[in-house]
Amino acid sequence: MVHRPRSTVYLEGIMDNEIIFETKNLTKQFGALVAVDDVSIKVRKNSLHAIIGPNGAGKTTFFNLLSGNIEPTSGSVIFKGRDITHQPVHRTIHYGIGRSFQITNIFPNLTVFENIRLAAQALGRDNFKFWQAASQFKQYEARTLEVIEKVGLKDRAQTLARTLPHGDQRKLELGIILAPDPEVLLLDEPTAGMAAEQVPELIALIQDIQKAGDKTVMLVEHNMNVVMSVSDAITVMHMGKVLAEGTPSEIAANKEVQTAYLGGLYELNV
Amino acid sequence: MTQTSISTRTAFFAKHRASLGVLLLLILMPFIVGLFNGASPATVFVNGNGQSKFIQGLAIEIFILALYALSFDLIFGITGMLSFGHSMFFSVGAYLTGIAIKSFGLSLPATLGWLVIAAIIQALLFGMVLPRVKGITFALVTLGIASVFHIVVMSSELGPYTGSDVGLQGVIVPDFISPANERLRFYFIALTVLILVYLLYQRFVNSPTGRVCIAIRENEGRAQMLGYNTFYFKLAALTISSLTAALAGFLHTLYQPIVSPNTAGLGFTVTALLILLIGGVGTLNGALVGAVVFRLLDYGLRRYIGESASFISGAVYVLFVLFIPYGIVGTWRLKSFQIKQGWERLLGLFR
Ligand SMILES: Nc1ncnc2c1ncn2[C@@H]1O[C@H](COP(=O)(O)OP(=O)(O)O)[C@@H](O)[C@H]1O
Ligand SMILES: [Mg+2]
Repeated sequence: MVHRPRSTVYLEGIMDNEIIFETKNLTKQFGALVAVDDVSIKVRKNSLHAIIGPNGAGKTTFFNLLSGNIEPTSGSVIFKGRDITHQPVHRTIHYGIGRSFQITNIFPNLTVFENIRLAAQALGRDNFKFWQAASQFKQYEARTLEVIEKVGLKDRAQTLARTLPHGDQRKLELGIILAPDPEVLLLDEPTAGMAAEQVPELIALIQDIQKAGDKTVMLVEHNMNVVMSVSDAITVMHMGKVLAEGTPSEIAANKEVQTAYLGGLYELNV
Repeated sequence: MTQTSISTRTAFFAKHRASLGVLLLLILMPFIVGLFNGASPATVFVNGNGQSKFIQGLAIEIFILALYALSFDLIFGITGMLSFGHSMFFSVGAYLTGIAIKSFGLSLPATLGWLVIAAIIQALLFGMVLPRVKGITFALVTLGIASVFHIVVMSSELGPYTGSDVGLQGVIVPDFISPANERLRFYFIALTVLILVYLLYQRFVNSPTGRVCIAIRENEGRAQMLGYNTFYFKLAALTISSLTAALAGFLHTLYQPIVSPNTAGLGFTVTALLILLIGGVGTLNGALVGAVVFRLLDYGLRRYIGESASFISGAVYVLFVLFIPYGIVGTWRLKSFQIKQGWERLLGLFR
């Protein structure tokens, strides 16, 4: 068996019903490249679980496997005890799994309002009422306004998404997955490319959402200060493999992580 | 009557002033044209020969083309599926109408019933390949399906039904809708059908379903991530489009003395594409405006230039695509927005 440190306090005595997400020997190969290599992790319900690792470590690919955007070469994805490995991607949100993208993935030629309204409408039962105007479904519009307000795009509601500044597009990306109110949020570098002064605001928002709503957040993030201060658990990936997992202090103390990833650059300031 | 209902009415008329004006014009047009040629409305009313009857005929052709172009805009302009087999949607309607009436002696309602079934089947046929192919592959696969249909209607084995390469002729149209003797009635029926379909399309595009179709055009992957099984929405668009095109084919067969196998060819799909490029892709109004411009240009060039008409019309289309890339309606919307902005800037100078 491959050497994999499993001695984290984080998972000590965890009950099955406290595990919301679990992967078993999840592997994804692109030709000869093994982007995700035999990854088995457990994510505790209502926790904020960070995935870190250098560029190319396989974090985005791992998220793609969790959200059903791609099929694994082998292994399985278990969500709340249920195997969802081979479910089509449009089912993901119906299970309560929302996914945001590292590279902004929105409807560029639609307004901010319509981007979020579409997300709010998706889980309702009105999608095929083609004889009624969309504006008659006030519940989705109300939800849209709520979310727009939450992510701080109130003044931009009628702006075309593609004309938004990058930071606002990241907020929209978050708004789109908040609208259906999923149980789990998979956030792939939500602050990527944002101006430094906007980052704390967005992180605070994510923490708020997680705490207030009993939600589980899985977060890919490069800013180590952020990761160390907000996470309940951290999984470190390196070349597709899990290098280490544990609480922030366990990770910070891990020699292997220090040399392979943190390279001594990060110092835990607690 | 209460104050509010009066003011909502006024608002309705104000908002739709332009559309209502066009509608009124279309209703009066046969009579106005008649007056210009010294024919009294009464003469026009009893379908007397003359300029008015001719113009009504041209308008009927435009209405049918507009229906056909609308149906293409729904799948191409709104939902973002490029089909190169769209002419088949029209042609199946046209041929089936002719065969049902001529070979099987069916009534018009029965014919329409069969058309609905056929239209749904062909939408499913196109839809079957949807989960497997996207983009240009979808275009080529649909072209393949339509080409098979084209070859089938041209085949000599089906000659007794389709008229092979000559085309289907000799369809006896019921007297009450005869394009020769009751043209004015035909004109109003075609106009009514077009308006109803257009209103239905406007509603569809603004409905929860239509909004998802637009989302699919914009970013299908994202639409799926939102939880939409995009296949069903594309199938819905294909079905409505197929029903509309078949209805256009139905009117075509009733109006034209002959159904040409060209209606099944790639050329006729390109016609739909050209109409949208002229009028504006994905705007719905563009299909109407485009059909008018396309048909009048075609008619004008043929009449005044003759032989080299198709060469010139080709050049005109190229110029259109180069200089009015969003089509007439699309460009107008951009411009009117810019004009409004410019106007506001100007007013701002005096504040
Ligand atoms: N669709 C793909 N086809 C081929 N290689 C891919 C694909 N997606 C990702 N990769 C490769 O897999 C590796 C992991 O990439 P990724 O998951 O994006 O890493 P991270 O998000 O940790 O930066 C990289 O070497 C990347 O080039
Ligand atoms: Mg990544």
